[in-house]
Amino acid sequence: MTEPPMRVVIAEDHYLVREGTRRLLEDTGDVAVVSAVGDAAELLDAVEELRPEAVIADIRMPPSHHTEGITAAHAIRAGHPGIGVVMLSQHADENYAFDLFQRGTDGLAYLLKERIGELDELLRALREVAAGRSVVDPRIVEVLMGSHTRAADAPLAALTRRELDVLRHMAEGKTNRAIAQALVLSESTIEKHVNSTFAKLGLAEEPQLHRRVSAVLAYLRHAPR
Amino acid sequence: MRGSGRAIQIAACSGGLCLLWAVATGAFLLRNNTVTLPWILGSVLPCYCAGLFAWWHAPTHAVARRLLLIGTALSVSIGIRYTSALLTTRYGWDLTAPENGLPSLEASCVVLPAEWVNLAVSILVAHLLALLPDGRFRFRGERAVLRSLWALLALPFALPLAGVPTRIVEYVVFYYPEAWLPGVGATLLVVRCLRARAAGRADVAALLPVATAGATLFLARAASRLFRSWHGESGILYLIGSLLGALPYVLISLSIVYAAFRYRLLGVDIVIRRSVVYGTLWLIISGWYLGMAMTLGLTAGQYFPIGLSVLVAVTATALFQPVRARLNQLAERRVFGERLSSFELLVQFGSALEHAYDLSRLAPQLAAGLQQGLGLRWARVRLGGGGNLPVHIGAAGEPPPTGPVPGPRGGFPLRYGNDVLGLIEYGPKTEGRFTPEDHDVVETLARQAALAVHNVRLAAELSTRVHEVQRQAGELDASRARIVHAQDSERRRIERRLHDGIQQDLVALVAKLRLARNRLGRGGDIDSVLTEVQDDAYRVIDELREVAHGIHPPVLTDQGLVAAVTSRARRMPIPVTVHIEESLDRVRFALDIEESAFYLVSEALTNVLKHADATHVTIRITRSGGWLEVEVADDGVGFPTATTGGSGLTGMRDRIEAVGGDLRITSRAGRGTTIRSRLAERVREEISD
Repeated sequence: MTEPPMRVVIAEDHYLVREGTRRLLEDTGDVAVVSAVGDAAELLDAVEELRPEAVIADIRMPPSHHTEGITAAHAIRAGHPGIGVVMLSQHADENYAFDLFQRGTDGLAYLLKERIGELDELLRALREVAAGRSVVDPRIVEVLMGSHTRAADAPLAALTRRELDVLRHMAEGKTNRAIAQALVLSESTIEKHVNSTFAKLGLAEEPQLHRRVSAVLAYLRHAPR
Repeated sequence: MRGSGRAIQIAACSGGLCLLWAVATGAFLLRNNTVTLPWILGSVLPCYCAGLFAWWHAPTHAVARRLLLIGTALSVSIGIRYTSALLTTRYGWDLTAPENGLPSLEASCVVLPAEWVNLAVSILVAHLLALLPDGRFRFRGERAVLRSLWALLALPFALPLAGVPTRIVEYVVFYYPEAWLPGVGATLLVVRCLRARAAGRADVAALLPVATAGATLFLARAASRLFRSWHGESGILYLIGSLLGALPYVLISLSIVYAAFRYRLLGVDIVIRRSVVYGTLWLIISGWYLGMAMTLGLTAGQYFPIGLSVLVAVTATALFQPVRARLNQLAERRVFGERLSSFELLVQFGSALEHAYDLSRLAPQLAAGLQQGLGLRWARVRLGGGGNLPVHIGAAGEPPPTGPVPGPRGGFPLRYGNDVLGLIEYGPKTEGRFTPEDHDVVETLARQAALAVHNVRLAAELSTRVHEVQRQAGELDASRARIVHAQDSERRRIERRLHDGIQQDLVALVAKLRLARNRLGRGGDIDSVLTEVQDDAYRVIDELREVAHGIHPPVLTDQGLVAAVTSRARRMPIPVTVHIEESLDRVRFALDIEESAFYLVSEALTNVLKHADATHVTIRITRSGGWLEVEVADDGVGFPTATTGGSGLTGMRDRIEAVGGDLRITSRAGRGTTIRSRLAERVREEISD
């Protein structure tokens, strides 16, 4: 084990889930759960005190069981830009993801709760957010991809079919190389599509990483038919 | 009689001048000849005034013209009489006629016109009476008989020429026509009335009693005049003679002036100050009264010393005073007509108004009461209007003019507070003018009627509301029952999904875990079984998520209507276009509004998938004027709107109406379906970004 384990705080009100998650993560040896708390206030305290690399938080927590997790995630990201947050949610509704990403996607991941069972996914998400990147649950992307909704002023209308395909894969968190493999195209072609997409969405001036996430968000918000 | 208006005017003027001349002469130049002054006051003046009055108001009416001509002729006659008296007393003319033959030239110049004028008066009186009420020749023979009377004018000239003695000539020319012609005229009128009755002319036939009375009176008068002429004229006989002599002129004048008002004898609407009418009648009565009193005084003067006769005259004046007062009273009442006091009118209507719940009956009652009570030509009452009351119109009297009534009588609005609940319109009174009391009556009645209409309106509103409340209560009961039923079946459905779906899945999962343990016990590979278990568990989670979402979509509570609707739309397998007003993104509505709106969209989309076979759906959510408007339109097969009683649609409607909204469904076979709903917008909070 060359790297030291990632320091993580877990916030989850349900005892069995909290402890189960802790055991699963610690079992891998890649993660050290420095604290496991039951609500958002305790989470914020723990973050202040322990300064973990990443946080796993439930979206619904006491006292009102609505979206305390999202509020806490925003607070953590605002106060400690270096700490990534993986939001675990029982909602397969994309609107919660939009809510989480409304102030920027950096260092944030939106995963369905059952991803606990897919430990590799969870670990990948933890690493991504700790590195300041972003992850969206494939299930959410799937919903948006399958959607036939069309907002009256969709900014994605300008994109070609191929560009939309590329954007969709980008939304799933794939790199250009992975996208090229999935679409059976050369990496440079993908690069071209990515750049023209950025241009069409008015993101040409943004830094590379931010552009990518913004494009994904635009895609998520204004999902094409 | 067909003389132009100008000729009549000249005649009338000369008559007036003659009258002035006669009065002046009689009063100032012939102090000892006051005998004829009562005659002037008692018959000439009333007759002339009445004629003038009638002609003024109906210048082309034959009766009016004849009356004026009679008055004028009488005036001219009296003028000539005074002139001749002046000539004989002051200038020593000898105007006495010889026993036989024609009088001297200067006597002829005075006497003949006087006789002609007197004859003309009598002939005109006969014409006037015989041709009442319209003054026109109507039946065969009338014209011949009456025209032949003019032949009498030849007598004053013809008889002396034929050698008839002057005494006889005087009787034939002077006394007999004057005595008999009024009677002849009245008798001819009786005949006319009888013929009219036979011919079915009710207007003329109605005069029969008057005509009969007149004929009797005038014929009796003629007989007594004749008697007087045989027995000389002095003392009490003179008085009776004078009274009888003036009788036709006073009676005719009074009758015509009165009939002109009361019965529109002259065929015109006489709209005139009642004081003028009254004044005219008063003048006639007063003239007659003065004449009578003077005659009595003069009669007394023949027997008693001058002082005593003055006393007699004064006493007579005093004695006649009650008669005059009574006549005045009579005239006043006849002119102004019988009128109910406001109190009487209100008492008459009080109970009708109190129990007036039927405006269709009240309106004509009110109009009739008003028209008869105030003696109006017409009255029209409009009740209701101004809101939800139907308008009822009642009219009485003559048909009211169409269009708005001009002038200040345009209408009397029935007001209650600021509301105008109707209108009272009325025409002029049949006689006389409106008095302040009349206006009070109308105003009081209008107030009462307004109150009555207000009561009716309240009753109607109450009844409408009670019906509405009853209907709503019935609807509410039914809707509540449906909602409860819908909730129950929804619960059963969820229970089934939990028991038959999720619980069974979990049981299967437990079985698979048991299988895995068994394999492990035998030292076998359980990896594939565990993967299976994990996948099954994912499915259960999904299923559970779906059930929970079906019970209540969490995104609706957490993020509101817009997020929930777009989320629902994204899961539609067919293209959906969503138009949502931008301002709605930041607004949270009251919980029940959001839930009802979402439920509507969700149900509508479910229906589209189930029934519509549509290729496209459009969802539109807007705010306008305090309403949240939700519309779901598809391009599917549609259905005839008449069959919108499906339980799905009823459920939607119940749900929307339960929060005070409304629902409209338009659909035509093959043209898609549009469901529109309006919900009263109740905002929960504005979300600051």
